[in-house]
Formats: sequence, C-alpha cells, structure tokens
Amino acid sequence: MKINPKLSQQLSYCILFLVTICAITPVVFIFFLIIKNGVPNLTIKFLTSMTKDGGIFPAIIGTFTIVVCSIIIVFPVGVFAAIYLNEYAKRNLLTRLIKLAIVNLAGIPSVVYGLFGLSIFVMFCKLGVSIISGALTLSIMELPVIITTARNALNNVPYSFREASLALGMSRWQTVKYIVLPNAMPGILTGTILSIARISGETAPILFTAAAFYVPHLPHSIFDQVMTLPYHLYITSTQVPCVSKTILFGTALTLLIIVLTISLFAIIARLYFRRHRKW
Amino acid sequence: MRKIIDSLTEKIIFICGMLSIVFVILIFSFLFKEGFSFFKHFGCIKFVFGTLWYPTSEPAQFGILPLIIGSFLVTLGACIVAIPIGIMTALYISEIAPKYLRDILKFLVELIATIPSVVIGFVGMIFFVPVVKLVFKVPTGLTAFSGAIMLAFMAIPTIVTISEDAIHSVPCHYREGALALGATKWQTIRRVVLKAAMPGIIAAVMLAIGRVVGETMAVMMITGNAASIPHSVFSPVRTMTATIAAEMGETVRGSMHYQALFAIGLVLFVITFIINFIADLLLETKRK
Amino acid sequence: MVNKVTVKDLVCYYGNKCVLNLLNIQIMKNEILNIIGPANSGKTTFLRTLNRMNEYNLLYSYDGKIYLDGKNIFTMKVEQLRRRISMLFAMPTPFPMSIYDNIVYAPKHLKLIKSKAEQNIIVERVLKDVSLWDEVKDRLNWPAMKISGGQQQRLCIARVLAINPEVILFDEPCSGLDPISTAKVEQTMLRLKQKYTIVFVTNNVKQAFRIGDRTAFFFMGELIEINNTKQLFHSPNNKKTADYITGRFG
Repeated sequence: MKINPKLSQQLSYCILFLVTICAITPVVFIFFLIIKNGVPNLTIKFLTSMTKDGGIFPAIIGTFTIVVCSIIIVFPVGVFAAIYLNEYAKRNLLTRLIKLAIVNLAGIPSVVYGLFGLSIFVMFCKLGVSIISGALTLSIMELPVIITTARNALNNVPYSFREASLALGMSRWQTVKYIVLPNAMPGILTGTILSIARISGETAPILFTAAAFYVPHLPHSIFDQVMTLPYHLYITSTQVPCVSKTILFGTALTLLIIVLTISLFAIIARLYFRRHRKW
Repeated sequence: MRKIIDSLTEKIIFICGMLSIVFVILIFSFLFKEGFSFFKHFGCIKFVFGTLWYPTSEPAQFGILPLIIGSFLVTLGACIVAIPIGIMTALYISEIAPKYLRDILKFLVELIATIPSVVIGFVGMIFFVPVVKLVFKVPTGLTAFSGAIMLAFMAIPTIVTISEDAIHSVPCHYREGALALGATKWQTIRRVVLKAAMPGIIAAVMLAIGRVVGETMAVMMITGNAASIPHSVFSPVRTMTATIAAEMGETVRGSMHYQALFAIGLVLFVITFIINFIADLLLETKRK
Repeated sequence: MVNKVTVKDLVCYYGNKCVLNLLNIQIMKNEILNIIGPANSGKTTFLRTLNRMNEYNLLYSYDGKIYLDGKNIFTMKVEQLRRRISMLFAMPTPFPMSIYDNIVYAPKHLKLIKSKAEQNIIVERVLKDVSLWDEVKDRLNWPAMKISGGQQQRLCIARVLAINPEVILFDEPCSGLDPISTAKVEQTMLRLKQKYTIVFVTNNVKQAFRIGDRTAFFFMGELIEINNTKQLFHSPNNKKTADYITGRFG
C-alpha cells in the first residue's frame, strides 16, 4: 500500500511536533518542581545568614568571588586571543594548530580540568586549595568559549570598516582598537555574560581546587578556601544525611535563579543588539 | 612612548593567541606526569582490562574496565534517547515551526543548556530516581538507566543547536530544486535537506557524545556509584568521571591511588580529544 | 607639470596568475588620471598596489618599483605611505558613528590635531570642500549611516581630506550612486584637483571623458594606451582602445 504523500507529511509533522514537546517538557518540570518546593524557603534570612544558622550566605559570596576572579582573568586573555586569530593570524599551520587546541580545550571534561588545576595550581604552584586556584582552573576551562564567541563577534564587523580605516593611514592595531573592537563589543560582552552564567553553576573543576565542605567564616583573601553554591548543593544532598529538604530546595532555587537571570539578561541583550545593529 | 605601548600590546596579543596551545600541552603533560609513573608500576594492560577496582584494599586493584563499561553504558543509553529526539527537534525548529514558535523553542533550548548539571542531578535524585525504582521494580533507582535519561536531557541542547545550524545553512536552491520537481515539503526535508546537512548533524552528535562522556556531577549523583561490571541497564554503575570526582578527596597526594585517578583523567583526555577532533574535521569539511 | 608618482616595470600576481604585466606609468601632480578598461583588466589591483592595500592578501605578490616624489613606496612605513596616498572605495563606508566623529577619526588618533577648536575648523573645511557643509551643518552629531548614499560617499571623501593626503585613489566611487549624487561627486573631484593628485578608476567611459585630464586604458593586465583624454577618445592609436570606448565590448 502506498501512503498518500500529503497524509504522510501531516503525520510526520505531528510526530516531530510531539518529539519537540518531549524534549522541552523536562525543563518545565524541573523549573516547576524547584520553584514549588524552593520558594517557601527563599527568605531574606536564608540568603543572608551564616551556615550554622541554616543560611547559605557564605556559599553565595564564595560563588560570587570565584566567578568574578575567573572572569577578570579570562576576559582579556580570551579577547586578545580572539583578536590574534581573527585579525593577525595568517592561514598557516600555526593557526590550524591553535584552532585545534581551542576545539580540544572546549571538549576536555570539566573534572579533568579539576585534576589539572589540582596538580598545577594547588600542588605545583603551591597556591593550595583556594579561591585563586579555583578561579584559574575555571578561567582555563572557559577560555575556548570566550575565544570562540569573541571571534564570531569580531568576524561580524564588516571588512570594509577595516579597509577604510587602514586607507586613512591607521595602523593595524589602531584599526582594531578604534573601529573593530568597539563595534564587536556588544557581541563579546553578551558571550561573556553567558559564560559567567555557565561557570556559576560549575562544580567539578572546583571540587579539588577551591571548594570546602564547611567554612565558618567568610573568605578573607583569595588564598582562602570557600563554600560555593553548587558544591554546597551537591555535598548537602548526597553526603549529609537528614538535611531538611527545604534547605536543599532553597539552595537549588537560589543557584537556578542566579544562573538563569544572568543568561536571560545575556540572551535579551543579544536580541536587542541584533535589532539595533548599526550597520 | 605610544608606539612602544602599541607594539607591546601586539606582542601580548600574539602571546594570548598562543596560550591555547600552551594550555593543551600543559594539561597533557601534568596528567601524564602523574599518570605515567602509575602505568610504569601497575602496567597498562592490567589497568585497562582489569575487572576489579579496589583502590583502597590490600593489595590494591586498579582495573578500570568496570568504569569504562559504566561510562560506555550510560553514554550509549543517553545517545539512543538523545540523538533521535535532538535531530527531530532540530528539524522541527528550523524547517517546520512557524516563526514565533521557532524563537520561543530556540530560547527554551538555550535555557536547558544553562541549567547547572548539579541542579539536574539533584532534581533527578529526588524525583526521577524513586519513579524508576517504582516503575521497573528494581531494588534501587540509582541505575545506569536513570543516569542515561538525565544525560540525554543534557545532551539534547548540544545536538539541537549544532544540527539546527547545519540544517539552516543548507542552501535554499537545494530545497527549491526539489520542490520544483513536485516533491512535497516533507519529502524535500527528508531526502534533500537532511542529506545535505548530514556532516553537521554527525558533528553535533559527536560533540554531544563528548559532553556526555565528560559529564560528572549529575552522573555521580544518579548512577549509584558501584564499581562493578553491571549485568543490566537497571544496575548501578560508576563512570570514569564520577570515580575521579568521588575519590580524589579521600586519597593521599602522591599515592598510587592518586596517580591512578590521574591515569583515568589521561584516558578521558585522549577519548574526548579523539571525539572532538573528528567532530572538528566534519565541521571543517562542511565549511569548505 | 611635475612628476608625482612613477611606476616602473610593475608586475603583480595572484597565486600563479599574472594580473598586471610590466606596467610603466607616470602620474603628474594635480592631475586626474583616469584608468579605464573591462573587468579583470587589473585596474583595481593597480590602485590597491599604489597604497599597498593588497598586502594582507596572501596570494598577492609583486615585482617592480613605485616612486612617490622619488622615494620607493615599498620601503616606506606603510602607515606613512597611506597617509600620503589615501583611498576611496566603491561602496560608501562610513563608520558607525556620528558625521563629526567620522571626519575627526583619523586626525585625532593619528595626533594630527590637538585642540577641539582645530577639530571644528577641519570638519568645516573638508565638508565645504565636498560641498556637504550646507546639507549637514545642523546635524553633525547624526549617525553617518543615516544620511543618503551620495552624502555618505562625499562624507568618505571628506574623511580622506581630513588627513591631508597628496594623492587620492578613487576606486569606482560612483558605482553605487544615482545620477544626481554621481554629478555631485564628479564636481567635488574636479574641485579637488587644485590641491590633490587623483587617480580615478571607472567602468563608465562617459564619466572618464567628463573628468580626467589623461586616460590610461588597461586590457588583460597590460597598459594598452595612455594619452591626453581628448586625444585618446578622439583618435585612439590602438584598435582595442577604439573598440572599448565605442562600446563594442566590455
């Protein structure tokens, strides 16, 4: 029997639609469950009191410090590397190798970054388990992402801008500094904000490089161990028996809210800049 | 003065460009440094094909075959679920969905990608695991199956975004040619578009596999962490990544066990390197 | 007439393909030299060689000498050279900033001017030179992307004038413009001749006839004929030239 092509088209569209719904529903579920169970516990007291009083304030501060430190390290390095690749690099073996290295870095499992951070920063550089070790590890992990997004943003700036600037007697670096970079900045920044969201939720790379199960005080310097939100969630939900569910859900909800707000902000900013692109 | 600063900046730019290569070499050599002495003492073949992982007993056993099988089982399960769903979703989003729905769906997919894996692990542990236990009537819900389902969910955004890209970049005249010959839109999608986008879709699948193999936190929280060779998908397993994450905290720095964990890291490094290399080759040929 | 640019035995390649073959041309001071010829005759390559814009293209290579006021341009610092021989492109390429900033962009960053007052003077002078001043003087802080195409192209000319070059290269500057804007750009070029040397590449034979003092005809990478514009158009020495200007090909 031969099926009518029109009918088979209708049928396949329906199936594809249902599958798409299947792929999307879990996210709605996850949000629903966490919000429903977490909201009652999300009080100011929970967010601002120390761990011994049943709060998560040190974990929030810890996550914040580590993320800020690693972004400060990775942002300039990543953007410079992207500038090199997009503006200076010739099409030769070296460039090919750099691209291969970036692809490879992007694919290394996060826990292997943790191992690397442990052996080089904690042990070899003798920084100990500390904020700075964790931040360095996270920044190496985030480097390929920043390079790739920054490079795309640079590549989107029309080539004619560069030629026009060069023809006016500006040097290559001046052209990059005054024309290319300012016009690529919106793209670079939204990409960076998305990376911030991503590293806020990372756990594996800081397991052995920065995170502590319990620290009674807030970090004094970047050489202190810290508590972080994702690690706190992991450790309290798996290793500590009889922690009340409300604390767990409160932590999960806080983490989710932080990550989602940051990425929502980035996604909306990207839409805005695409609409209002100047060229 | 200004000239000096400018030329200095250009030197710094060059150095930053080189850093990615430096880091790859550094990562490899630091893993190798710790892993190599382990291989020398314990032996490569015993390490890869040994069926017993008892790192703390006397004498210690470091056979990672159960861990490899664990990783493999979870990855395979996740792929079986995620690949068809991912590709079909990508097709729906880029070819069939009306414009407004397409934007919403893309947005949701992007949101899934940003959920931290520890949150997914947590939700899976609290809600999904008991369901698995109840429905399949197994002694514990912490199984390879539960892990695979959760990982599939995490792999879907990777597959969808990259294949959607590949499908989107199929030139318009391919479609128009087929439509002009009287094919229905669905026939065009199935026979022409899908075929033309294939290298990109395969690359998407490879990258997703790389992500699943390297996923740590969710797996560690859901799969039950039993380092023995599983007899079905409904028995607890332990993956390579989970082993490193779970045991590194308890080892003595510099001990045999410590080095063994680095050796596992080295194995993971090599596996993901190969997977990503192939994916990159596929994407590169697509670009040409 | 003083000799401004001397091209001696110039040969240019893209990969293995020879696009310019043994070119010898002299460009006089304060003249407009037309370069005409069919597509792929090497006009643009020649122009971009004059201020070394081709050097980022890896396939490109050259041989021969070009002198600017007796100095070899290939041994000069490339930024210095481009300040003296600047260039205008086929499509208007204003930067995404205000009209005012577009003009002061290069002088400011090259440290040619210091005070704000000096900037204002330059902006007014160059905008008057391209007769754009009356049209935009009330909206100098407008985004340059928002003015019309013809105005944009004249703004780009003004931007070039702001660095005070000696030679200006025009690469088909009117190809994207309507006839009225084209006429304005042509008038501007004729006026600029007083102060600058102009090399003008065009596809439009009539336009070349209207503007240039002398005209060079390129064909397949070779200079076929160069002469006083009137003479070249009225009594071409070469049959190919005659065929081209009468519209038989190209």
